[in-house]
Amino acid sequence: VHRPAAALGDDLPDVASLRERVSAARAAAEARGETFYQGPSRVQLGAFPPKERWDDWVELSSRAWPRRDERHYVLVPTTCFNCESACGLLAYVDRDTRQVRKFEGNPEHPGSRGRNCAKGPATLNQITDPDRVLYPLRRAGRRGEGKWERISWDEALDALAARIRAALAEGRHNEIMVHIGRPGEDGYTERVLASWGVDGHNSHTNVCSSGGRTGFQFWMGIDRPSPDHANAKVIYLISAHLEAGHYFNPHAQRITEARERGAKVIVLDTRLSNTASQADYWLSPQPGSEAAINLAIANHLIQTGRYDAEFVRQWWNWREYLSECHPGTPVTFTAFQEILAGLYADFTFEFAAAESGIDTTVIAEVASVVADAGTRFSCHSWRSAAASNLGGWQVSRTLFLISALLGAVATEGGTFPNAWNKFVPRPIHTPPHPGVWQDLSWPLEYPLAQNEMSFLLPHLLKDGRGKLDTYFIRVYNPVWTNPDGLSWMEVLTDESKIGCFVALTPTWSESAYFADYVLPMGHGSERHDTHSYEQYDGQWVGFRQPVLRAAAERLGGEVTDTRQVNPGEVWEENEWWTELSWRIDPDGSMGIRQYHESRARPGEKLTVDEYYGWMFENSVPGLPERAAAEGLTPLEWMRRYGAFEISRGQGRQHVSEVPASELTDVFVSPAGRVYTSAPPPAGPNIVPMGTPPPDEHGRRAAGVMIDGVVRKGFPTPSGRLEFWSATLAAWGWPEHALPGYIRSHVHPSELAADQAVLLSTFRLPTQIHTRSANSKWLDELSHTNPVWINPTDAARLNVRRTGDLVRVETEIGYFVAKAWITEGIRPGVVACSHHMGRWRLRGHGEVAAGGMMATVGLERDADGWQMQVTARVKPYLSADPDTARIWWSDTGVHQNLTFPVHPDPISGMHCWHQAVRVRPAGPGDVHGDIGVDTAKARDVYRAWMARTRPAGGASPDGTRRPTWLMRPLKPTTAAFDLPGDRAAQ
Amino acid sequence: VTEVGRWELLRAIGAVADSPAAARTVGPALGLAPVSDADHTEVFVLSTPPYAGIYLGPDGALGGEGADRVAGFWRAIGVTPPAEPDHLAALLGLYACLGEATADTRSEVTAATLRRSQAALLDEHLWPWLPCYFDAVTDGPVQALATWARLANHALNYERPERSAVDAPATEPTQGRLPLALRAAPAGLTGDARLQDLVDALVTPVRSGMILTRPRLAVGAQQIGVGHRIGERRFALRAVLEQEPAGALAWLAAEAHRWELRHAVRGTDAASRWWASRAARTRRALGDSSAATARPDLAASDGAAIMEVPT
Repeated sequence: VHRPAAALGDDLPDVASLRERVSAARAAAEARGETFYQGPSRVQLGAFPPKERWDDWVELSSRAWPRRDERHYVLVPTTCFNCESACGLLAYVDRDTRQVRKFEGNPEHPGSRGRNCAKGPATLNQITDPDRVLYPLRRAGRRGEGKWERISWDEALDALAARIRAALAEGRHNEIMVHIGRPGEDGYTERVLASWGVDGHNSHTNVCSSGGRTGFQFWMGIDRPSPDHANAKVIYLISAHLEAGHYFNPHAQRITEARERGAKVIVLDTRLSNTASQADYWLSPQPGSEAAINLAIANHLIQTGRYDAEFVRQWWNWREYLSECHPGTPVTFTAFQEILAGLYADFTFEFAAAESGIDTTVIAEVASVVADAGTRFSCHSWRSAAASNLGGWQVSRTLFLISALLGAVATEGGTFPNAWNKFVPRPIHTPPHPGVWQDLSWPLEYPLAQNEMSFLLPHLLKDGRGKLDTYFIRVYNPVWTNPDGLSWMEVLTDESKIGCFVALTPTWSESAYFADYVLPMGHGSERHDTHSYEQYDGQWVGFRQPVLRAAAERLGGEVTDTRQVNPGEVWEENEWWTELSWRIDPDGSMGIRQYHESRARPGEKLTVDEYYGWMFENSVPGLPERAAAEGLTPLEWMRRYGAFEISRGQGRQHVSEVPASELTDVFVSPAGRVYTSAPPPAGPNIVPMGTPPPDEHGRRAAGVMIDGVVRKGFPTPSGRLEFWSATLAAWGWPEHALPGYIRSHVHPSELAADQAVLLSTFRLPTQIHTRSANSKWLDELSHTNPVWINPTDAARLNVRRTGDLVRVETEIGYFVAKAWITEGIRPGVVACSHHMGRWRLRGHGEVAAGGMMATVGLERDADGWQMQVTARVKPYLSADPDTARIWWSDTGVHQNLTFPVHPDPISGMHCWHQAVRVRPAGPGDVHGDIGVDTAKARDVYRAWMARTRPAGGASPDGTRRPTWLMRPLKPTTAAFDLPGDRAAQ
Repeated sequence: VTEVGRWELLRAIGAVADSPAAARTVGPALGLAPVSDADHTEVFVLSTPPYAGIYLGPDGALGGEGADRVAGFWRAIGVTPPAEPDHLAALLGLYACLGEATADTRSEVTAATLRRSQAALLDEHLWPWLPCYFDAVTDGPVQALATWARLANHALNYERPERSAVDAPATEPTQGRLPLALRAAPAGLTGDARLQDLVDALVTPVRSGMILTRPRLAVGAQQIGVGHRIGERRFALRAVLEQEPAGALAWLAAEAHRWELRHAVRGTDAASRWWASRAARTRRALGDSSAATARPDLAASDGAAIMEVPT
């Protein structure tokens, strides 16, 4: 052992005090909002330009090397718009040219912490895309003919405002609809529609996440989980899509941290996804069997007594379950435990193995690992299995059963209700709930649907259930995204069903071709939004902003309209909606204008500065103080840093006691639900969650009695975690009121001998759904979607080598794709990413994105629609020299066109998995060919509708839908009443 | 010594060498006097660039085998090497990260792996050159950074005894063995070296056992009483040797002896012993050369050891 050499000198401070001093100095610098380690540096392996130098950041031009050519930048934060994670971006705006040079991560963002996936920096491609839509366009020929004329914004606004004003004046509120693709914000558009008094919000959620949401909502009254991956001991994922798509970056970095600390990662994914490849346990189950595996693990916890009985006793609604389902049984926890032990006894490892095809010993080992996690068990299920199977919502419901058994709910390393880790600031104006009900989005057949039945819209219109006067799509591409896209095309081109079709979009898309108006909206660095997402146990709000506007203002300029700095006449939605609302109600007589007026200057339009300035000043706790400490207004602070962390360590919110001040005129139900006539506390966070019904005297549900103490509980009718759902039982589905296993529509027993399951839900982490075609870097990374086939299947099918063409036949048609023979998929299953196969119609000239869209011919004959590729992508000349360097020609196949709709009768989720026949392509088959019979699509639609139990018969209280369930743009309570002719049924 | 801030201190020491901006923010926390941008450049760009490749590489130059070896270590532990993998700041930052990750993990297996990685980093890529490097900086003209170097040596010394006390030899198979860079170092100086080889060897630390900086050469020239020619070190050294061979060799031998003592007092670990031995060899070789310059036959020969004419 060596001692420090005496020669080093006694004059030096001792090491212990040096260590403490340096640590204290760093903490103090960071507490002051300063950067201790100035960078970019080598010190922390990842470092960023210190925020003190964001006004004039100097880098050397790489292209000028070896000359030292300095470039000066203003660094402006914004929020990525290319998935729903809302990661922070930092735009490098050249001070001389006032153009964005690049996007990197925003180190001040609490969720992404300076890190981004490939989609973030690719924002640069989107804003410089030579094929983007720059000016308002109006169709000049027939719909879909591909002829356009440039018009002014005034012309577009006046025409649309006149239509909407007339519809509202004539009581045709339900003929106005705005269909959202990528939301990317928290409630702004919904409030615009509320101000118009229409129930016109439609979303893409029932082709995305509503199956996953349903399972969580029936448990906790909140439809999203917030796993604390970073602190977990075991991470259980039934969603490769999640950690390789949405939330990829914020979750992936925290999963990585957990793994560095020794956490185990378990992934259930039939396909070897990126996430699965990093897992400690990769389980490749038979598609649709995931819930059976979950229940086998739950049964293991129950049978071995390795569940948190005290948590279950306190927080499950077992009393309600016993009272309703076991009326002769004493309502004691001991009695419940005895029943619980029998409820899942059939879900043995052997049963799960038989259903899933996974070895019993593997499931047993995984169950043991899960049991060891205790309260540090984080889980997530989003799309994947929950979005793919009949009854897929039971995948997330059974998954959360494991969390609820372990007591791993809102614990460190556990799974939180997302509403506790998300902050939606209250805005300056809050219009009332609309007083109408949109049957085209919320048909009576689906009283429990998690979200709008958006993908059924073509069929509901074909049924003659209504029509649309003005239909907006907003960053949405229904023809390409939804199943059965050609039925969409049929109604979008039918002016008797859709009077005016408006595409609010930054890019061309397969749907925009058929629009009457194509109106250019900004990308992530060209628009304002606020956004918050659950990514760890904390709450933050992010601010998206037009970076050129913010840069201009920081350099002393003034921008009053985002079009002044955006390319062409690209606008931002906030200003657009305000302008449109004013033109619908120019004199305020319709009651609309008041919600778009300045509060500081009555009679004038609300500006984005006032809108967000008010929000940050009044609705984001701690932000005004933080900003003041730096001599900034809250809005200035957000423009400078882009995101603000409101709190960290929310912990077990359900345990918090309800203050005595909220407990007046209290009523406690026999099950312990506590009601009060005291008004709810006015808080600035308006995050969506369930709204438990009041008692018969109208007192609101305020808490739940737990061992004599009134605690906040969960926003469910019972106030507890609902192991048994009274809602499901009362609305016609008592057999599914408990977490359980519903055999999928692609269960092996449902398949013919020559059929396989097609997995179509997985995305690629480098793709942006319908906007990748305008991102050259992403195009180059990923541009095709072969069909994954196991070698044993390939041999059986006589598919000899990777690259051979195969024909995949669905219920309504077929597509032709290339085979990829790989052991990354289990035998009997094939898979194809939904990201590819972008197309533009022959004869549409330069409209569309040349880099990723094949040109197709689309013909209809007696057999239905035939789509054939007439030209593949190739190099071309444009304003961007890189388009002359396109080296690929293969852009994959648009498989979604060949899928019929499969609406789950409870959640409403489209069940994406397909039973298909795969065979080698015939001599006339060409890669990318598609054939679809939309008449057959109608038959499949009707068959699935027959599975439903409509509100007209199932409603226990004369309403269309349980009022407590979450719903975007919830109408007034009166609008929930069944229409007169149905209420009597 | 308390563990609080152990990694932060090392990271901060690295940060001072990273950039003038970093030195401005971190320096006060270390109690250093302000360092001007010019002084920072003088020490970390001109006199003593803080790259392992220079002090452990066979050519005594930036990049090359010395830097590649360090980059290989980053890859071996699964981390993409940064642009300058052998920079002092990057290496101390990595060392600190490994220490923090070890404290953070709940897995004993992971902790053991991290400890081994950190120990290997210290043994192979930090300890073999940093003490010598810090000593060289203390020779420099910038007082604040000389203090920094002494502090750095002081802090680094604590890593050795603590780690040695924690890790048993069984988990530390490399303990007691020379680091690869030193094992693979080219041969040291011999008394019959020709002038160009002598100059090359003297400015290559792993060959000479000493770090001959530009400021130190200036001091030497002054002490010998010859002109110090401004230029690259090889050029300056050669000029000194040509002006006054005997005096220059004697001064260089004394310099080697000074380094020999420095290395010896540092400790008895394998690396320090190796450095001391290498400096002693240089001292002896220079003594031999010095004797040779007294021999007219050699001094008169255009092919003799130190009398080559520059071309």
